[in-house]
Amino acid sequence: MTERKVTFTREQIAAYAEAGGDHNPIHLDDDFARSVGLPGVIAHGLLQMGILGTVAAEAAGGPGHLKRLLVRFAGMVLPGDTVTFTATPDGEGRLELSAVNQKGEAVLTKASADYET
Amino acid sequence: MAAVAGKTYPAVQIEIDPDRVAEFARAIGADPDEGVPPTYAAVYSLGVTVPKLFGDDEAAIDFAHLLHAEQEFEWTRHPRAGETVTSTGRVASDVSRRGMRFVGFESETADASGAPVCRSRALFIIRS
Repeated sequence: MTERKVTFTREQIAAYAEAGGDHNPIHLDDDFARSVGLPGVIAHGLLQMGILGTVAAEAAGGPGHLKRLLVRFAGMVLPGDTVTFTATPDGEGRLELSAVNQKGEAVLTKASADYET
Repeated sequence: MAAVAGKTYPAVQIEIDPDRVAEFARAIGADPDEGVPPTYAAVYSLGVTVPKLFGDDEAAIDFAHLLHAEQEFEWTRHPRAGETVTSTGRVASDVSRRGMRFVGFESETADASGAPVCRSRALFIIRS
């Protein structure tokens, strides 16, 4: 099993907004996020997927081996949350993936990857 | 709301900018020396095509109630930094049931020779 534990920060979320090109204020502005019913800024689902992708790539023997990556965005990640991302072999060229926060809640579900062996 | 299944948007060209790739790699904790992170497809595939859907009055996507529910990327090969690719977005499905609208949005990315690079499948849920 390959594992990476990440504690999310506002700085990392802002860096992803910039590099990923998603400037939705729900990721950057607490007041705005609260105005739409969120507890405050939340991490991009695609940032979570990006981190999970690095774990999948490591388990696959390098990023060039990844053929497919699938996730379902199941839960919010807030600054200060610690998420454990894992990749577990699930047969030839297949990985079962997971992302679970410090409360034991899955934030990404139905996650899997295929890779070139 | 209008169902727009089958609607295809104009192709968008994007250069895989090496500086932005390095910035993206650092943001997700990848090694910038390992090349273009696979999930940089969020930029060159989904990222350049989805604004066409969101900006389409006929599709009438209600942002206030929009949820990105699922995402899949499938690569034929991984592009290199400095390459220019072309991505085309299409509404694969658009179904409403029990007060929710499910929009499947697919993006096909090809390289300069027209050979496939990546396919992105996004599922958006819009609550009414």
